[in-house]
Amino acid sequence: MFNWLTVLETLGYILIFPGFLFCFLVGLFLSGVDRKIVAKMQKRVGPPLLQPFYDFFKLCGKETIVPAAANKGMFLAAPLVGLASLIVLQMFIPIFNFTAFSTMADVIVILYLLLIPALAMILGGAASGSPYAGVGLSREMVTVIACELPLVLVLLAVARTVGSAMGKGLVFSMSEIVNYQSANGSLITHVSMIPAAIAFLLIIPGETGSHPFDTAEAETEICEGLLAEYSGGPLAVFKLSHSVKVLTLSSLFVALFLGGLGGKIAALVGSFGLSAAAAGMIGGLLGAIVLVMLCLVITIVFISLVHAITARLKVEQVFKYYWTVVTGLALLSLVLAWYGF
Amino acid sequence: MSFLSYQHFPIYSVMALFLGAFLIVLFGKSKFLRNLIAFLATAIALGCMIMLIKPVMLNREIICYWMGNRAMAGGYAIGIAMEVDQVSLFFGLLISTAVFVACVYSLQYMEHDDNKPQYYTLFLMLAGGVMGLVLSGDLFNMFIMVEILTFAAVALTAFRNKAFGALEAAFKYLVVGCMGSTCILAGTIMLYAQAHTLNFAQLSSIISGDINPSTLVAFALLYIGFSTKAFIVPFHPLAADAHGAAPASISVLISGVLTKSGVYAILRLTYFLFQTMQLGSIQFMLVFVGSVSMFVCVTMALAQHDFKRLLAFHSISQIGYVLTAIGLGTGLGLSAGLYHAMNHTMFKGLLFLAAGAVHFRTGTTDLRKLGGLGKKMPWTCALFLVGAASISGIPPFNGFASKWMIYQATYQKAVESGNIGFLLATIVALITSVLTLASFVKVTQSVFFGQIRPEHEDVKEVPAGMIIGMSLFAAICVVTGLFPRLVTDFLTGPAANAALNPANYISSMLAGAPVYKTYEVFAGAGVWSPVNWLLLLMIALLGVTIVAVLSKYDQVSESKEGELVDSKFALFFGGEKTEYSQVGGEDLFWGFKQNWRHYFSFMHELHSGVVNDYALWAVVALALAIVFLQIAL
Amino acid sequence: MITYNYIVAFFLIVLGFYTIVTKYNLVKTVIGLGIADYGVNLLIITVRFNPGGTAPIFTAGELTQASYFVDPIPQALTLTSIVIGACVTAMSLSLVVKLQEEYGTIDTREIRRLRG
Repeated sequence: MFNWLTVLETLGYILIFPGFLFCFLVGLFLSGVDRKIVAKMQKRVGPPLLQPFYDFFKLCGKETIVPAAANKGMFLAAPLVGLASLIVLQMFIPIFNFTAFSTMADVIVILYLLLIPALAMILGGAASGSPYAGVGLSREMVTVIACELPLVLVLLAVARTVGSAMGKGLVFSMSEIVNYQSANGSLITHVSMIPAAIAFLLIIPGETGSHPFDTAEAETEICEGLLAEYSGGPLAVFKLSHSVKVLTLSSLFVALFLGGLGGKIAALVGSFGLSAAAAGMIGGLLGAIVLVMLCLVITIVFISLVHAITARLKVEQVFKYYWTVVTGLALLSLVLAWYGF
Repeated sequence: MSFLSYQHFPIYSVMALFLGAFLIVLFGKSKFLRNLIAFLATAIALGCMIMLIKPVMLNREIICYWMGNRAMAGGYAIGIAMEVDQVSLFFGLLISTAVFVACVYSLQYMEHDDNKPQYYTLFLMLAGGVMGLVLSGDLFNMFIMVEILTFAAVALTAFRNKAFGALEAAFKYLVVGCMGSTCILAGTIMLYAQAHTLNFAQLSSIISGDINPSTLVAFALLYIGFSTKAFIVPFHPLAADAHGAAPASISVLISGVLTKSGVYAILRLTYFLFQTMQLGSIQFMLVFVGSVSMFVCVTMALAQHDFKRLLAFHSISQIGYVLTAIGLGTGLGLSAGLYHAMNHTMFKGLLFLAAGAVHFRTGTTDLRKLGGLGKKMPWTCALFLVGAASISGIPPFNGFASKWMIYQATYQKAVESGNIGFLLATIVALITSVLTLASFVKVTQSVFFGQIRPEHEDVKEVPAGMIIGMSLFAAICVVTGLFPRLVTDFLTGPAANAALNPANYISSMLAGAPVYKTYEVFAGAGVWSPVNWLLLLMIALLGVTIVAVLSKYDQVSESKEGELVDSKFALFFGGEKTEYSQVGGEDLFWGFKQNWRHYFSFMHELHSGVVNDYALWAVVALALAIVFLQIAL
Repeated sequence: MITYNYIVAFFLIVLGFYTIVTKYNLVKTVIGLGIADYGVNLLIITVRFNPGGTAPIFTAGELTQASYFVDPIPQALTLTSIVIGACVTAMSLSLVVKLQEEYGTIDTREIRRLRG
């Protein structure tokens, strides 16, 4: 049953869309927009929009230095594992009606797969043997713990809402959640899901480690923490993973709460009266464009704007913020979902 | 019956272990004979258990074996019986695997110790005790086996009696363990007074239909007694003391095997003997105790600075997962719980062996005195990371597969029963998992990464025998994580179905007609295919690596201690010497602990280390259990 | 009359546990374990004791429906239990000796290096 066409298709998914190339282009583009917008808000000119691409290629051309105290294998492998796992994760998140591998992971799996890039970064930092990285990994781990509780509650609330609406009790499958939305409208229109959506949006800057939750990388205190000893190619890969993570979390938000747009897109494409294959193609393309636009909005509002108007928190404040305010919102949502609102 | 018929295999496996123990007393002086006997005894036990998979797990037979062929007389079971159903065999397999690997590891690990004949005698006694407990079909026999394993475990805890706290740990464990044994005996006798039999199946057929207040007291006594063997809350401090002080190979047995015997006995009590699992109050009791164990022990572990003590607290935290899942009383919950029990034996065994390897070479397990060993002991480090990823539930290792099923089982139960308490159990389980990850990040950073201490500069990798022991566990961790369907179909599924059909267990002993109903044992609400994920990850990793290698990624310059790679960097270093500075130790996550400081200091005060306090907890737990059961049933 | 046995048995078990919980001397803790164990032993032989019954020793053919004797199983259990009790005492006392050598005290409040 070895089919070359399937292999080719799979490789296409992994390497081009929604895999490596898509993540690379959109991730770095989002990061460029972020930098430009922050600069504008701070009344600076800011770097050109393509600066992250230039940075990436520049870093790739630089010399990589492995410190004396480092564990060489882990030090070099960690960035690659982190990036690869993020790209695989991106392929599990449906883009409206299009999913590369829909029946392979559910929301709990995604919750855990989100840990792997953070873990790769922590292990890479630990392997560098630098005390700055030691402090950085402590802070990164605390941020991960801080974000985990509200994220868990949000995902459980989503599972319950879709489950009770479909009469199944609970639904964890990602594709079922998206299909339900494209048939019956976005989840955000449910009363119970509004606090969950807000909580998820507030989690995005924490998970991606951007301002004001960037304690783990605090340049001014601990010299970029985990990345202190990294240079050249590995650093480029870490920077890229960081940008891709923004894309991943934004598209996860879109899939969980705004999946209803998928139905609208399908209806729009259907009105053109194309053949099924062409409609699928155009629908996928249109979906990708809409997704990028939505990611752009989320990036500008919840990363750039928040970055520009806040100062970095202390690490225990980050923890406290997530376990009180954001958890409260998520818990409210879960309780509302439990009692069927 | 021929002597090689599989009906005899259960008794052969128990006999092999005990016989091995006695033979080592006789011939233990010679190193070769001693190792050979220990190896053979554990290998025979494992072999017998593996041979039983086909008849018991696949053909769903239940083996009833009467000692000395004294079968039932006049409707009463006078003789002593062994009854091996799927649950027994499942635990038997876990135990024999862990014992075999621990034995292989011991052969080189115990090199530096004296009194090795005594060590192997006690080791095999402990293994035989647990094996006898899970295969026995007789309540009093279970008590005898509990006593044998308690004694062996206490003696082995104090085996290195010059080690820090070993004697103290052994004494505390002996006191509370014997209180537990006393409870078990009293409970057994009260059941005997009611039913006039000690045979498990017959007791069950009489007791389950006729529960009166004195039966409930017996239930509470047995439950508390076996809790001390499973070390669940409030007996967790003893586990921490005992595992921390014992040699690593014994920690594997105490955490992977002895605690399982407690879980097994609690499962037998609730599902088979009293058949009360359909009652909400019993489900509440087990899920509550399980969730509390999970959470309390993981936070206690976060505050530890001793490698093995930290692992010991995690061990009870994982037992909490098992108990929570078993307490749900559903097919999915049971199979998830048993799956996790199996995984716990494997990954915790691996982690303890890694801790033992570190101790073997450096002579300490204090996180504050270690660091940077990853470069000197690459194999130990890699295998430890496999274990750490498994226990933290990182896909695709086995811990994730079973935890994923536990989350679904608890949430499904919450939705089906409409009880928000089970939802809390799901949330606690998810949070415990990330705290587990945090505490293993701490261990990884403090032991294997960071800067190496000057006195550990010439540490070498451990000998091959120890690496083989760890690799066996690691291989099982990966395989059972990648193929969850195989495990649920052939191991946990039959066992879960057996536990949900107690009538079958009773009727095959009392020669009735078996009735069998099949329950769903695999997750329904979600999807996860680890093999495909791993394939995708491998392809993506390959792609990323090729791109990276094409762009100068592998052209690295390695700096050496005290010299510059290139004179062009002199500008940045200016001839400064590197200073030793390691970030690690118990207080790594102060940002988290700062917010929880009141909780942590309260817990620190509470675990006072005075044996009277622990005994008081035991008495209070017993009183609570008696009162709760009287009210609830 | 047999009721007294039950009362005393449970009283002994509780007394043993009370001793373990309240006494700070290790030797007294060991004594507490012993008392609880005796309580259980008394409980065992009380269960299925038939007042006026004979010892359960019969030769072939002697045993009839009318034989009135004490249930032998609990007595066998008691023997096992007594042996185990002796082992507990021996083992814990040897640990107490070692503890005294190591810590220089047998006060439980001072033997608490492992805590927290």
